Order: sequence, then structure tokens, then C-alpha cells
Amino acid sequence: MTINTDSALAMARLARLDLGAEPADLTKLAEDFDRIVAYMDILAEAETAGIEPMYSPMENTAGPRPDEVLEPEGSAGKAELILEQAPERVGRFFSVPRIF
Amino acid sequence: MTQLWQLNLAQCSEGLKNKDFSVTELTEACLKRLTETEPAIKSCLAVLEDQALETARDLDRRGNDSSRLLWGLPLTVKDVFCLKGAPTTAGSRQLSDYYSVFEATVVRRLKAHGAIILAKTNCDEFAMGSSTEFSAFGPTRNPWDRQRVPGGSSGGAAASVAGFQVPGAFGTDTGGSIRQPAALCGCVGLKPTYGRVSRYGIIAYGSSFDQAGPLARTAADCGRLLQAVAGPDAYDATLADCPVPDFVNQRPLKPNELTLGLPRQFWNADLHPQVAKVLDEARNLLTKAGLNLIEVDLPNIKYAVAAYYILASAEASTNLARYDGVRYGFRQPDPGDLMELYTKTRQTGLGPEARRRILLGTFVLSSGYYEAYYRKAAQVRRLIKNDIEAALTRCHFLLAPVSAIPAWPLGSFLDDPLTVYQMDLMTLPLNLYGGPGLSVPAGLGDDNLPVGAQLWGKPMSEASLISAGRVLESLWPKLPEPQIPVI
Repeated sequence: MTINTDSALAMARLARLDLGAEPADLTKLAEDFDRIVAYMDILAEAETAGIEPMYSPMENTAGPRPDEVLEPEGSAGKAELILEQAPERVGRFFSVPRIF
Repeated sequence: MTQLWQLNLAQCSEGLKNKDFSVTELTEACLKRLTETEPAIKSCLAVLEDQALETARDLDRRGNDSSRLLWGLPLTVKDVFCLKGAPTTAGSRQLSDYYSVFEATVVRRLKAHGAIILAKTNCDEFAMGSSTEFSAFGPTRNPWDRQRVPGGSSGGAAASVAGFQVPGAFGTDTGGSIRQPAALCGCVGLKPTYGRVSRYGIIAYGSSFDQAGPLARTAADCGRLLQAVAGPDAYDATLADCPVPDFVNQRPLKPNELTLGLPRQFWNADLHPQVAKVLDEARNLLTKAGLNLIEVDLPNIKYAVAAYYILASAEASTNLARYDGVRYGFRQPDPGDLMELYTKTRQTGLGPEARRRILLGTFVLSSGYYEAYYRKAAQVRRLIKNDIEAALTRCHFLLAPVSAIPAWPLGSFLDDPLTVYQMDLMTLPLNLYGGPGLSVPAGLGDDNLPVGAQLWGKPMSEASLISAGRVLESLWPKLPEPQIPVI
């Protein structure tokens, strides 16, 4: 897989990143990205037929538990404190600009 | 005369118990040392002087409580642990003004055991990096040479211990971020088993890898720190439901009781001459003392860097999706619409390495590439786990270098991300596997820079891992104190 500035921009859009306006920066970023992905291609050599993917070291340990709301110690009534962290809010709501 | 800030954790605890000095005296001594050395090493993002002194006086008033493992002991925590009363920045501009409304389980347990948290330490942004240079607030300096990096991402934690600001610290290790800075700064660093220590309240990077653990001047001190925080937590469903053994009072091991496996892929790697020299000598000391050293093979280790950076970046891209400028943290002013709010906020709020990993993670998870990269990397992860498990059937622990090179000059690799990723080869396979690891100083090179070696163990083997670490410590040269200009 080869990465160029177009594919870097497509990934940036998916990742909700603005890669900036400087063409030199974008070229460097795409080159770095390309070298990294080219290095990742070493995995194609690995013989993995029939190998179950391992997504976490803790396999099969999180058993079912009662569906109960756990309020971490001292968290009761913290909604207002959490809302205070909002860059912009209207009353009890987070506020964002128009969608389109 | 020994100064209070020169004592290790066990010595501090003993002195407090014997009333040789008070908690306030110890805290003041560490705060003074921190203030004097901080301009040179810049290990801290926030110093919690008032809170620390208040807690110290309170502990003194109430008297020593021997049931509390860390009673009166001053520590630092990496700035990825949520703690009330100070910002939790994760080294990022995105969170430069973020105040958590709750505390990490690790922080709560440390406080419950009577620890005094003196400062929050610097780190690479969101714990992504190997040098602490990706902190939005500037790099930390290596206490042994201020023109060199301390390692990372827990570079501030390692520098705070190695610089004798505090006798112990907490960091996190996702791909080596405790063990590597410990090695580069010359202290002991313990990455516990994945599932041993709660991640509740720790800013997430790679959720199938992240693990919190201690840094200190001795393996025994790391055991004491782990004891205080280990074990199940109702707020972290990924913890193993198994008993926590006694890490503090373990039977000492004799050197001839230990068989260590040396992975040939690491020992035959291209090691820096100073690293090779120190480690050769360290290995000779082990053999002379009667340890049984055998060569072991990790055939799939050549895939480890690629597999790790695919999986960890994928997890980072999802974990960091939350930094969107809506609910907390930095928000780009005056965005035109919602999409611009997201993109401009993330472009300005997040630094270059975090953005690079988000892009990489987005790529490997995207339609058309998922099977070839993400799923394939997860399969390779199992191959690597199988290799390590097989090697550990032939010995008690694996012994490996931590870093192929000693601490490097600031700025050396900033434009070369792939080389930096490859430098994590000897630490990150352990995170793919999930077992515990302990980095111990092996000696000082002719360049006056510390070199470390690490032990890897089976999951939940920390008690014997710490005992084995004590054997290595007893055989290897004790590092002198780094000379830091004080003001």
C-alpha cells in the first residue's frame, strides 16, 4: 500500500483532523506515513492461517455481572461540575455550532 | 550526612516509624530538593506544594499508622492520572485546563495508604512517545545529562526518581513507557501484568496495553508501591479477579535458584557499544554468582513493532476521538460549523505524534485495510504471545536489554518517527503479551549514562519477579547519584 497526499487527506477527513494548509508539511506527513505503512507490510510475511486474533491479554475473563449502576465514590451530584468543563454550554446542554 | 531526600522508600518508612523525622520534615526536604533541581530537569507539570504540606501536617498530627503501607511517603504521579485539585493534562494542549471531577483508583489507593502526592510529572502527549519530547509543555531533561532525553513516555516520573526529587513515582507503560525511561535514567521500573492495576481515571491511550506501575530506586520499593494499588476495582472490568500476593515480604531468592532465558533476537541485536559493554559485564556477574543463563528464541519478534503500532494506534484513534472540543478541553474559537469545530480543535489541540497515530489508527481500521493490517496484527500478537510463553516454559524469567542505545541528545529523532518506533523493539513485545516486566539498572557506561536490563515474567508473577529483581540489584553495581546543578 502506498500513501500519498490524497490518501493522507482522506484518512484525515475520517479522523476529523485538519492537516493544515502548508503543502510542505502535508508532503512530509504523507512521506512519513508512507514509510510507516511500508514497514507494517512486513506482517504479510507472517504465517497466520488458522491463528485466532488476540485483541486483549485478558481473554475470557470479564464474566457477566449484575446490570447495576455504580456511582463512583463521591460522584453523586457531579453533573454540574462536569458541565462546567464545557467550552460552551446553554443551560444543562453542551453547545455546538450549526451542523451544516 | 545523608539528606532526607536521599533516602529510598523503605528507608523513609523506617525513619518515620522510628520518629527519626516527621512526615512534614520529609515532605519539606523533598519539596526543597524538587524546587532546586526542577529548573535543570523539568520533570513536573504541576507541583502540589500546599496540598502536600497540609496532608503531611495532618498525618503528623494523627500519628503513624503502620497498617498504611505508604504512610507519609512523598511520591509523584504521571500527569495521566486524574487527581482533584490540579489539572490533568496528559501532556497535551487539548487538556491544558482540564480539571477532573474524580480521582483515579490508583491515586485514591495511594492516598488511602497515606502517600503524599508532591507533583504531577511530565510525559509525551497522551503517553505516546519514547523521549518526553512530545509533551506540549516542553521536554524533561535526563538527570545524568541535561542535553539528553529521559526516555518516555513516563520521562518525568523517571527523572523525578533518578533526580532524587522523590523516592517513588507512578507512571504508565503501554509499549515500554515505564521500563525504558527507568533504564535511561537509572532507576527501577515495574510494569505490572495487564489486569493487575486499575486503569479507572487514567487517560486512555491503547486500552489493550495500558498498565500503571511504579518507579523507584529499588525493586523492593516497587513491590511496596504495587502492593498499595493492585487488585480488583469495581470501576475497571478488565482487571483479573485473582488474589493479590504479598509483594513486600517475599522470601529472598538465591542466585543459583534462578534460570533466566536470554532471547537471542535481543542479545544479538545491534546494541550501542556502551550498552553492549555494560550488559556483557552485567551478564558475567550473574554467571559468576551462579545464575543459570540460557539462550531462548522468539522467532516472531521481528513482527512485534509493526503489530504493536497497528494495534496501539488503532486503539489510540478510537480513544482520542473524544477530544472534539464539545464536552471538555480545548476548543478552537469561532468554528464555522460542527465539522470545522472538530477538525480545527483537533488540529490545534493535539500535537504531531498524537495526530500521526490517530491517522495511522484510522487507516488500519478503515474499510479495505482492516483485514490486512488490524486483524493480521492481532493474529501476529498471538504468535508473539505463544513465543514468549514457550520461552518461559524453559526458565523462570526472560532477561533482555531495555533500549539498544543509552539516552540520546534532545531533538535527535524528532523528524524520524519510524526509527523511534523501531527503538521500542525490546519493550513492546511484553505489552503485546500482557505479562509483567521489571527494568533494573545494570550499570553506568563510560559516557556516564545508565544502562538498564529487564526481566519478563508470566502473568501475575510480580512477587517472584520482584524477588528476582532484588537478586540482580544485589549483584550489579549501585549507581552513584547524578550530579544536578541546583539553584
